Amino acid sequence: MSNALGSSTLHNAGNNAVGAGVAGMAVALTGITKRFGGFVANDGVDLAVRRGEIHAVIGENGAGKTTLMNILFGLLQPDEGSIRLNDEETVVADPAVAIKAGLGMVHQHFKLVPSLSVADNVFLGMEIRRHGLIDHAAQIARTRELAERFGLRVDPTERVGLLSVGIEQRIEILKVLVRGARTIILDEPTAVLTPQESRELFQTLRSFVAEGMTVIFISHHLEEVMEVSDTVTVLRNGKKVATRPTAELSKNELVRMMVGREVSFDRRPREPQHGDVVLEVKELWARDDRRLPALRNVNLEVRSGEVVGIAGVAGNGQTELAEVLSGLRSASHGVARLKDRNLAALSPAEIRAAGLAHVPGDRMVRGVDRNASIAANMLMGRQHRAPWSRGGVLNWNAIGQNASKLIKDFDIRAQGSGDAVKRLSGGNIQKVVLAREFTNGADFLLIDQPTRGVDIGAQEAIHDEIMRQRAAGRAILLISVQLDELAALADRILVMFNGRIMGEVAGDHADEDRIGMMMAGVAVPEFATEPA
Amino acid sequence: MEILDKLVNVALIAATLRTTAPILLVALGGSFTTKAGIFNIGLEGQMLAGAFFAVLGSIWTGSALLGVACGVAAALAFALVFAVLVVSFRANEVVVGLALNILAGGMTISLMKAIFGTRGSIVGQGIVGLPKVQLPGARDLLGSWASLISGFTPIVYVAFIAVPLLVLFYNSTRLGLYIRVVGEKPEAAEALGISITRVRYIASLLCGLLAGLAGAHLSLGYITMFTENMSSGRGFMAVAILIFSNGDPLKVLAGCLLFGFADAFSLRLQTFGYPSYLVLTVPYVVALTALFALSYRARPKIIMETLASMQKLLSADKSTEPGSKHPS
Repeated sequence: MSNALGSSTLHNAGNNAVGAGVAGMAVALTGITKRFGGFVANDGVDLAVRRGEIHAVIGENGAGKTTLMNILFGLLQPDEGSIRLNDEETVVADPAVAIKAGLGMVHQHFKLVPSLSVADNVFLGMEIRRHGLIDHAAQIARTRELAERFGLRVDPTERVGLLSVGIEQRIEILKVLVRGARTIILDEPTAVLTPQESRELFQTLRSFVAEGMTVIFISHHLEEVMEVSDTVTVLRNGKKVATRPTAELSKNELVRMMVGREVSFDRRPREPQHGDVVLEVKELWARDDRRLPALRNVNLEVRSGEVVGIAGVAGNGQTELAEVLSGLRSASHGVARLKDRNLAALSPAEIRAAGLAHVPGDRMVRGVDRNASIAANMLMGRQHRAPWSRGGVLNWNAIGQNASKLIKDFDIRAQGSGDAVKRLSGGNIQKVVLAREFTNGADFLLIDQPTRGVDIGAQEAIHDEIMRQRAAGRAILLISVQLDELAALADRILVMFNGRIMGEVAGDHADEDRIGMMMAGVAVPEFATEPA
Repeated sequence: MEILDKLVNVALIAATLRTTAPILLVALGGSFTTKAGIFNIGLEGQMLAGAFFAVLGSIWTGSALLGVACGVAAALAFALVFAVLVVSFRANEVVVGLALNILAGGMTISLMKAIFGTRGSIVGQGIVGLPKVQLPGARDLLGSWASLISGFTPIVYVAFIAVPLLVLFYNSTRLGLYIRVVGEKPEAAEALGISITRVRYIASLLCGLLAGLAGAHLSLGYITMFTENMSSGRGFMAVAILIFSNGDPLKVLAGCLLFGFADAFSLRLQTFGYPSYLVLTVPYVVALTALFALSYRARPKIIMETLASMQKLLSADKSTEPGSKHPS
């Protein structure tokens, strides 16, 4: 097996390079639908990828890109729809079928063994052996040869644990190549890369296409899609929006197709307020979990009685900003002050005591304990205070009464305060979080994606509540990926791209084109706040 | 100096090798499970069962070798039960390990009572001990140093030869590689179609094999007898060594030599009248210190930006902007 490997790869390359001239489909998905419980991840999606092209699949987080690719690769089975690989109807029962049909997938999360060498990882599962022992020299030579052919800079003898994520990705690509893949799927390949590494990756992808191979490239970064792809398919909320040649598209069009506008809110009427600065952020930098820069020199302030919106395609630093402000992530540079107290010196609990209320972006993870009752969830964070507890003993009477009152005030649809939160709908769960956070007496409200996964009726109610908090003189930082939500609520909108504030737009002049350009990373000069 | 000369000499080193062998064997056995991602606290019980059944087998068959085989078989049975519960039924490995240790302790005592009608220990009764291997020519070549390589029971040689063999096994055989993959990155193994269950079963059984040998060495090696709870914590020492060697054979060897040396050394010290309970704590203090130092070094590090890093990140970031795109 091992000896046949290298030559057969080469042989195939020759064959397909000839075949690439003939118009053919490497992959054709038709009417793919996939449901997870009540949630529809893919809704009748079509995807046709021509042989020899770089085809980008683009969409926001949660748009269904990864699900679609997992179906294509046999990791998930579609509920409806059919798959054709190389113009042949195929049931991709498991990844082995896909691999046999010449598909290879480079996942978002690498599956490499840190203590093994690069070559050992590449050949894992298909080792070259001599006299029963693994022939390390042969594996190293093969790896080196393949790496050089496609411009993947990597030393086959090094231990993977010592290498950067960028190199790890090259190893994953080599793994796919060594198994003879002709169509390579890359799931968010640049999410972990530095710009230089991304550029090298694009070179490699082009060299694949030059050899007649096909690349499917998943991304939510417009820049790179524009730069490297031949064709773009846009997904939104599990549906296909369009498939178009990249050359015909502008970045603005792409943003609009990605973000879409389904619900339109009217701008809320408001009294102008001129409050004091409550939150002040200066030259803030932070790294994400992969230690890559996530915030780059962010400056902003929020005054009392003001809603400051943060717009941007998801994954451009908004999450990290919210985490730094709530004390869940430490900044790598700069200061954030809440009412003149330096947040870096405070624990999350102390920040809350200092006046932060936080409506987290992922409410099921950080907003509620889904198995606990509504009353218990509304209590969280103040359980040590009177009148809810005395001498370390909880007063469930007072807690229950308070919860019942909040259920009424916030119009939460539930049987009673003893209901487990997991039995509520998304909108009502969010209202539980709001009810708790907005009644804490905090001066600064950090609100992250308040209406994600919430029905329209509840969205209205949540927006009403945010405006009431504004009128009560709270300082509000509203992070949202929905432009119309920001246009309805925010006094000022800051646009984030790649960890930076690209510029600012007044809420009542929310010009979608201008915001869209900044979301796509185009600096709009008169609004740029960055020092040169 | 005179005392030191009496303490540290060839005999001490030979004694160290003897006391190291059983810990080394059981720890090398544990290295299979450790590498396969199983925390195997049941080494102690496997070793004890091995020691008891080795004695039993040697009495019944009159052969030391068949005795060893019986001990190994018993340890394998324990390892198999462990694997069934932990790998197939996904029971908690600590609970299962502890339960099997308690079972081994209780079972050997009650079987001793049932078969020999005694408590405490089995001595004599026709136990056949392992022969000592005298390497031909060793005495001529090395003189008084010959006792460093010659005159041990076969299992001691097996223990030390196993170290380089295991290094080769983990680096250059498919099974060794798969054991490491299953332990380090099970999702990688799964993605490549390697059966995690199968690999973990094999690792558990290989572990039982060596733990059984270690047990047989205890009861048929230098003293031919079985006593209650004869393994006396060696299995747990092996677990400690495995935790901070991560199952790497060479590090396991180093850790075992440390424990073995401390064992032999403290036996010596006791004859000189030093209180043994203090002397015996030394290896454990060393182990705790080492663990503390290792975990302190591995603590998460906080990144702070410098002027240079910020500038670099900003300029890298600029170059991806549309003005300067299509770099080549």
